[in-house]
Amino acid sequence: MKMLNRIGSLKAGSALATVLVFAAGAAQAQTLRTNINADPAMVDPITYSELIAGDVIGNIYEGFTAINEAGDVIPALAESWDAHDDNMGFTFYLRPGVTTHLGNEFTADDVKYTFEALLNPDNQGGLNARYLSTIVGAQAVTDGETTDLEGVTVIDPHTVEVRLTEPDVLFPIYPFYFMDDAAVETAGDEWYLQTSAGTGPFVFETWDRGQRVLLSANEDYWGEGPSIDAVEFLIVPSGDTAVSMFDAGELDVVYADNPSIRRILQTPELAEQSLQVPAAQIRYLGMNQNLYEPFQDARVREAVCIAFDRQAMIDGLYEGAAFPLAGQITPGVAGFNPTLEPMPYDPDRAQALLAEAGYPGGEGLPPINITSTEPNRNDILYFASQLQQVLGMPVEVEIVERGSHIRNMNAGEVAFFPWGWSAGYPDGLYFLSQVWYGPSPYNRSRWQNDDFDALIDQARATADNEARYALYNQAEEILIGEYGTCPTTVRMQLALVSPDVEGVRLTPFRFLPFNTVTMD
Amino acid sequence: MLRYGVRRLLGLIPVLLAAVILTFLANQAVPGDPITGLLSDQSGDAALEARLRAAYGLDRPLWQQFVDYILGVLQGDFGLSFRFAQMPVIDIIGEGLLISPVLALSALAIAFPLGMLLGTIAAIRQNSWVDTSIILVLVAGISVPNFALASFLVYIFALQLDWVPVAGWGSFSQAIIPITLLVVPTSAYIARLNRTYMLEVLRTDYIRTARAKGLREKIVIWRHAVRNTLVPLLTTVGIILGGLLSGTFVVETIFNIPGLGSLAIQAIFARDYPVTMAIVLLFTVFYAGINLIVDLLYSAIDPRIRLGDRAA
Repeated sequence: MKMLNRIGSLKAGSALATVLVFAAGAAQAQTLRTNINADPAMVDPITYSELIAGDVIGNIYEGFTAINEAGDVIPALAESWDAHDDNMGFTFYLRPGVTTHLGNEFTADDVKYTFEALLNPDNQGGLNARYLSTIVGAQAVTDGETTDLEGVTVIDPHTVEVRLTEPDVLFPIYPFYFMDDAAVETAGDEWYLQTSAGTGPFVFETWDRGQRVLLSANEDYWGEGPSIDAVEFLIVPSGDTAVSMFDAGELDVVYADNPSIRRILQTPELAEQSLQVPAAQIRYLGMNQNLYEPFQDARVREAVCIAFDRQAMIDGLYEGAAFPLAGQITPGVAGFNPTLEPMPYDPDRAQALLAEAGYPGGEGLPPINITSTEPNRNDILYFASQLQQVLGMPVEVEIVERGSHIRNMNAGEVAFFPWGWSAGYPDGLYFLSQVWYGPSPYNRSRWQNDDFDALIDQARATADNEARYALYNQAEEILIGEYGTCPTTVRMQLALVSPDVEGVRLTPFRFLPFNTVTMD
Repeated sequence: MLRYGVRRLLGLIPVLLAAVILTFLANQAVPGDPITGLLSDQSGDAALEARLRAAYGLDRPLWQQFVDYILGVLQGDFGLSFRFAQMPVIDIIGEGLLISPVLALSALAIAFPLGMLLGTIAAIRQNSWVDTSIILVLVAGISVPNFALASFLVYIFALQLDWVPVAGWGSFSQAIIPITLLVVPTSAYIARLNRTYMLEVLRTDYIRTARAKGLREKIVIWRHAVRNTLVPLLTTVGIILGGLLSGTFVVETIFNIPGLGSLAIQAIFARDYPVTMAIVLLFTVFYAGINLIVDLLYSAIDPRIRLGDRAA
């Protein structure tokens, strides 16, 4: 037992910064303690490729723009930008007087460096690399022919020009994480564990694997705050443990997972301390017309869409922490159409439509599997039982391992599946262009419509926001109008916030950085 | 004795090899693919996928992946983690290396004497109310699943009484509930075994002789009987330790303990084969090592084992 104790304290002691922060605790250092359910897979902005890493990295690194609490895009490291006259590029005017965590001035060279690092094939560039594919010369860097990204020109330290091969009006809002170009020189290849190279409100201190990631306040932050001294992301694999820790005062803020949302909503004392915000994540039923012939008839698709009760799913499966989704852009994401009505639950009409299509009572329908992963088991059981009962459709439930399922869906080999898609940036084009645009690799149900695709192409080249949103609405109406899919529900995100903590901002895109947080 | 030890050490080699082969094959047999997992739902571009596959050597034929892996391990190179971007497995594992074994051994150090004591008391009071109540407690200790007991203990001692923290690692108080969880079923198991052994021993001739000599009951039990139940109990220590090590998987996950158990769970879910393989290897070494020590120990206690070995 003694030995155990000693190892424990050695481990804690190794995190020097932890000790410093807690030593300063005597002078009332304020550390915000929050949970992440696994180790981040990385803490650097180049390989960044998953949600948990994003929760941490978003506090350390910044892009041209950010979003505010309402979900609107606001300038961040770029004070302003001009679109080129031919619509084939942008000139960004960077914010002067911003220093990186390494103490250097943030300049246009850092922008160019970050882009090149993301594309360099030696670096395993993560999620953000995909936003660069339209830059002139991007392919040459990806292919390893050069490390110089031709389409990005440093005009002066605070002006950078980006030229594109095709119009991409959303380029300024892509959530890049710029890093100081001196980081590798200063701290070597594993710089991300030794130092911090962003411009954000918090500075990376330590990562004790399996235990915590600790960030400290950036005293020189250019924007608001931070007024707290540190953020501690505790790694808490069990959602139940996280809620208990909150209860015992060991966590100040908890981002709840699905099973604990249920527990929280059933406990009034906890529910009172919660923030609830819809997630920027569409959910839909994919119906692949190439794999199941009856889906080629719009009447069959409509029958499927109105044969299940969205409200019953919300009450029964999600404990009320969801609401019906009408289109394929979620509320809080630019381009959302508030006038669209959710599809009704109408078993009589569903049966009539099916009979009209030549399958009265489901007669003559070939068997079909509805496929998903283990966490969605209840959802597909519900869909299957409704479709069997209401339509007499011979539906079997199939559970597949996640990685295989994603690969099969990407290959267009899954006939019938409920799935979701989370927005990577705050604009509805993300959903429409990735999930429903014909040529997109993520058009997993292979629904295709030329008019829809033409509207998306047009939207990509339409810089005026309102005009562009109108195009989204038209495209969405085509998709929904011909029952290309059945929108299902939107998940509610839920966060517990201790009464001592103010200024936590939960948006459709999870938490915003904690620089506005104050603690009693 | 020395020759016995050396032979047992050599015997470890095929065991380790079998463990590596089995884990390697099991990793291949489960559905799912590490690169698809790595790329997350939304970043599956084909060129990147091919590049990563090549970078991790997953484009080589299976036999070659295996041979290269073994050659690497022999040189102390366990490869790169799939999930943790560009990090060597050895670095990831090194940080929590001792936590699971320390948890398991601490639990064993408490559970073993506790179980012996309870089992002995139950046996010498056979069929009395003492015996019955101990058996009841033991059955409960073995049957209650540890995650249920965990919620119960956390609710009482962390949330209601506020004596210990809910979870975490680094202080003595944080270790109390996790170790208790491991101790409860283990000591119950040992107590039940010991009760049975003790009942047998108490019926043997030498105990009757000892009593007939007029020895006090205390000496008969604690000097003669207990010592003779020790050998069969020691042989089960290996099995018990195996149970304790797998117990750490659950306990570490519930209580945010950064040991190899919780790391293994993360790695299995992420299809992080290099990390899974290394942890299995380490646990095998640890488990086999403890068994070796136990064998050596009871050949020291009971000379018949050593003699039998020499005869063979």
